[in-house]
Amino acid sequence: MLRMLIALLFMTTVAKADYNLIVPQKPSGGTSVWSQIVVQEWEKHLGEKINLIYKPGARDQLGPNKFQEELRFDNETILVSHGGNGISYLMEPVQYNYLDWESIGQMNLNIIIGANETVKSGEVSMAAGSGMTPEIMAITLLLTGPNQDPIEVFNKNITWVKGMKGSERRLAFIRGDLNATRENPAAYKKHVMPLIEKGVAYTWFHHGLLDVNTGNHIKDPNFTEPTFEELYEKTWNVAPSGDFYDAYKLVKSWRDALQKAFWVNKGNPNKQKLVDALNKMIADPESMANIEKKVGKYEWRTGNDGDKAVKTLKSFITPTALKTLTDFGNQQLGFNTVYKKQLTE
Amino acid sequence: MEILFLLLGVAYGLLIGLIPAAGATTGLITLFGVMPYFASDPYLGVIFCVAVVASSTTGDSFSGVLLGIPGANSAAATMVDGFPMAQNGEATRALSAAITSSTVNGLLFGSLTFLFLPYYTNIVMYMGIPELWALVVLAFVTVGFVSTKSWFRSIIAIALGITLGLVGVDVNNVPRFTLGWRYLEDGIQLLPFVAGLFAIPELVSSMRKGDATNNVEYQYTGGVKQIWQGMKDVVASWKDSIRGGFIGSFIGLLPGLGGAMADWLAYGSTVASNPKESFGHGNVRGVIGAEGANNSQKASSFIPTVLFGIPGAPFAAILMGLFLYLGIDLGSPDTFFDDKLFDSMAFAFLVGTAITAVICYVLAYYSSYVAKLPYIYYFPIIITVIIWATLQYTGGWEDLAVLIIFSAVGILAKEYKFSRPALLIGFLLSDRIYNLTYQLTSLHTIHDLITRPIFMFIVLSIIAILYWSLTKRSKLDYA
Repeated sequence: MLRMLIALLFMTTVAKADYNLIVPQKPSGGTSVWSQIVVQEWEKHLGEKINLIYKPGARDQLGPNKFQEELRFDNETILVSHGGNGISYLMEPVQYNYLDWESIGQMNLNIIIGANETVKSGEVSMAAGSGMTPEIMAITLLLTGPNQDPIEVFNKNITWVKGMKGSERRLAFIRGDLNATRENPAAYKKHVMPLIEKGVAYTWFHHGLLDVNTGNHIKDPNFTEPTFEELYEKTWNVAPSGDFYDAYKLVKSWRDALQKAFWVNKGNPNKQKLVDALNKMIADPESMANIEKKVGKYEWRTGNDGDKAVKTLKSFITPTALKTLTDFGNQQLGFNTVYKKQLTE
Repeated sequence: MEILFLLLGVAYGLLIGLIPAAGATTGLITLFGVMPYFASDPYLGVIFCVAVVASSTTGDSFSGVLLGIPGANSAAATMVDGFPMAQNGEATRALSAAITSSTVNGLLFGSLTFLFLPYYTNIVMYMGIPELWALVVLAFVTVGFVSTKSWFRSIIAIALGITLGLVGVDVNNVPRFTLGWRYLEDGIQLLPFVAGLFAIPELVSSMRKGDATNNVEYQYTGGVKQIWQGMKDVVASWKDSIRGGFIGSFIGLLPGLGGAMADWLAYGSTVASNPKESFGHGNVRGVIGAEGANNSQKASSFIPTVLFGIPGAPFAAILMGLFLYLGIDLGSPDTFFDDKLFDSMAFAFLVGTAITAVICYVLAYYSSYVAKLPYIYYFPIIITVIIWATLQYTGGWEDLAVLIIFSAVGILAKEYKFSRPALLIGFLLSDRIYNLTYQLTSLHTIHDLITRPIFMFIVLSIIAILYWSLTKRSKLDYA
């Protein structure tokens, strides 16, 4: 109790930190909260302090850009990125480049799509946002099948409802204003499972997890429902393929495989120490229980496995896939995208 | 131990509430670092956090009344009549009325919130996109027409506020009104906007005059008499107070609308309900009406947060993050059956509100001295706090540039009588009206809309208010 009181009385005093973690959001952002939770456990195994430095701005691109341009050259500076940074990297004129960094640890995440019965009519209404691009591409493919034009199907069958924050989107789905939604596993359990239990929603599909060795999506053991590829094949009797599918796989993988990731500059001498501490944290049941209780259970990749994942992701960036993605993002979804030829080289 | 942490939460929340342009959200953000210390007893953490919310909400009326600087954006409506009261020598009376109205409604609607929590689901479910859109339009009409004499200037101020609020990126992530400045892609930050619009102009005004807020003799001599008078005012204007409480409670139920809208709707309804009275020059009813919505809105914001895990207000989003640290996942089925959680929240909110009231009465007693202070004593402190708070965003020169720009806008608006509250409400609700209009037109048809009774009721209310405003013009000319 005394410890609590002392902490409260001096709660804003800043402890001297050995490392700085750049967080590209305000303290209240999702990645900020996630980082605060993970760092508390990571520090225990590192034996050193990690100070969180918030660098919000330019839709979460300011932090990674600053890291790329100046901060990464400090050996005590780490960056945490999120899935949205991966999407921006593919479609927007950002300065940062994952290939200049080395991975400390990555959290691989599955995303699940829930729906109500009205989607079976073939008309889908879903909240818009660049972070939803993989879902809307998967849904478009499911409605399109092998013989139609996905762009035509998107224009005709999908209402892409713009301007909804996460909380509004959730409420709109509960009310039935939208007939499809997507969540990460923890949020899905909280927001969609109760509706499934009431019989007013069902799990439509999930993306599955990226196997960095093969580059394929594998089943998430936490979900028995079909992955997108399985559902597509079941519906159309053929596996998904083509430029639009490649573009889907590209954007989905860069978002979900790097949903949360810690980075340092290439050649940072502290890398191994940080990776070792992260590995100890992952091996510690108590630490993982603390983390999983708050943010859910996810698959971790650390050290060289993370660098390998980036190589696999890089192999998905083909000129056609990237062009299809940026064109769809620009012309159908209305985003301010650019085609970055240098990414394909 | 519960009482101790309740008192600590109240003390910290009050401190935050008293800082101009801060508020519950700011207060809660700074608590992330201490949450692990509640690991041994997470319910103490719940009590502490909820007490911070309860006390910062009541405390935020002080700087608005005493200095003309809203303690939080939701406290700007209180300031419209509260600050002139302070200038008229009735700072303590205004604060007493604000504290009483805020506390009574906080206790009343807080009790209703926690007692009948599970039964509110249906109300939230009935308020769809069309109804929310109509409510936002109602807020604009209230601020633009009811809460001002110069409705034409007010409309211009709302339009400017909306334009400024839309600076950033649009729903397609395309930069909008950023003039090529990447810093603005995240929009104009609230704190430098509010501080620039309200705090700096009042400080400059005091500096020009070279004197204190209050230079006249008290109408009611003695602090105790003024406190007593403020309480009696609330009893006499109980309808304005409870109406404000009801409005605040209703708005708090609806995620995303926010405290500023609740306070302005409550203030507007007070002005409209008392057509023969003059507002904006120190009418205590204006304070009572607006403050009625203050704590009740915070109380009912807990409803969607606890029931659905959907934050009813920005502070609730931070609270959810803090509770995650404590192992409490608001909105999950587990929390529905956690009686100790509900007891802790209800205890902290209700008892915290009551204790805050007692402390605030004492502070109000001495507040007349603050209003009597020459500007030179508080100017450096407030400027330092504002600059420090502004720099918390990126810490770069851009933060200060935004503060300077909106200080100039605030000074000009005050000088030329363009309603700053209207500018603020336009700014705060710009995203809401833009996005809701987009969603409304994407998902609904006219035929669909006219079959929605709540939507039609709000639309008819808007028409009635417009008719009333144009035929019986408001006498309020606060800018």
